[in-house]
Amino acid sequence: MTELETVVQPGCDFAALMREHRAMVFSVVYHFLHDRDTAEEIAQDVFLSLHRNLRAIQSAAHAGFWLRKVAVQRSIDASRKRMRRPQVALEDVAEPVARGVPADPMLGETLRRLIATLPETPRMVIVLRYQEDLDPTEIANLMAIPVSTVKSHLQRSLALLREKLVRRGVREE
Amino acid sequence: MDWLEDELRQALRRKDPSPDFEARVMAAARRRPVLTMPRWLAAAAALLVITSAGLGYRYHRGQAAKAQVMTAMRLTGSKLSRIQMQIKAARP
Amino acid sequence: MRIVRTVTLACAVAAALWAQQLKLNLDHLAGKASDSVDVSLNNSMLQFAAKFLDGKDPDEAAVKRLIAGIDGIYIRSYEFKQDGAWSQADLDQVRNQLKAPDWSRILGIKSAEEGDSAEVHVCNQNGKITGVVILVTGAKEFTVANIVGAVSLESLADLGGHFGLPRLEQQKGTKKR
Repeated sequence: MTELETVVQPGCDFAALMREHRAMVFSVVYHFLHDRDTAEEIAQDVFLSLHRNLRAIQSAAHAGFWLRKVAVQRSIDASRKRMRRPQVALEDVAEPVARGVPADPMLGETLRRLIATLPETPRMVIVLRYQEDLDPTEIANLMAIPVSTVKSHLQRSLALLREKLVRRGVREE
Repeated sequence: MDWLEDELRQALRRKDPSPDFEARVMAAARRRPVLTMPRWLAAAAALLVITSAGLGYRYHRGQAAKAQVMTAMRLTGSKLSRIQMQIKAARP
Repeated sequence: MRIVRTVTLACAVAAALWAQQLKLNLDHLAGKASDSVDVSLNNSMLQFAAKFLDGKDPDEAAVKRLIAGIDGIYIRSYEFKQDGAWSQADLDQVRNQLKAPDWSRILGIKSAEEGDSAEVHVCNQNGKITGVVILVTGAKEFTVANIVGAVSLESLADLGGHFGLPRLEQQKGTKKR
């Protein structure tokens, strides 16, 4: 849904913007880094940046766009600064309850851990596509990469995730 | 819809940060230090942020407006198409 | 589960500057709809959007040509899960405005079996078409589309092959109210 455009006046309600967008910012970072404490720190930094640049914000919709863009940038920066990327050995991934069971309560966590093992760019593409429901063009604009690259990352990442899950017996082909 | 995409949407649903998140951010915002960099550098940095954010935002608005136009034309087209089919069905 | 897909775009320009030809008070239908589309695009938004339409894509190129002469597109479209969500008063609200001298109904079709009804009206000022209204109603549907500006039926027909638009045929003997 495209939001109604409202003008954000100088001295606008920063607290309201934070309430509206805190889940989005935190979740982008958390699902990218799969580290709750770090995600909280980075999300806090993102909002402090917003606070410093409030005058640059043109509208409520612009605030959302700006926050998402900065959350993406800070997440990728944090990932690069890490000494070690979060490597999850497949043996450490929780075993599914049983083959063929339609609702696997561990599947969500399994998927989140597998996503954390993807390289940075496809990992962020997956987060933006399935958490934020952005289309490839929007993702390309946000990440400043070609649309064709986004589509290619989506295709390959889905294939990889699907293959890993099938091999783990989570789903039958 | 593909089962994996469904599961991904479930797994990547938005989550809230800790309950005291807002309080911590507000406290940090009140404590933030005054910039000590030269005024011209701060102004140049601010201009760069505003310009790049503005350009990206213009593109975002343009894509949103384009999507609305296409939705409008598809909807209008589908109604007219249905009218045409009804006309054809009504005529001998 | 009620699925609500609401597509809403209202431009930031004050309402006084909207060029829509019909005054519509149909917001109460949105609350009952399982699917609603609400589009309000004035001239400046259309021209802005046109810059982002790809001339190489056949559908987008056709739309770009069409909107070049248009001043606005205003659509309220609702689909309902149950019959009886809209009333005769809602329909009369629209039709009464189309009784103004400038408006002519050029097409009307009704399906007694399905209860569907469709009308196309044009606004004619000084020998030129300055607006088109498409009104489609059914047991579980209510749609009003107002295209404002120098829209010709030929230009709408040019979209044939895109979005399934037909070549519109005018009813013989145009009615004037």
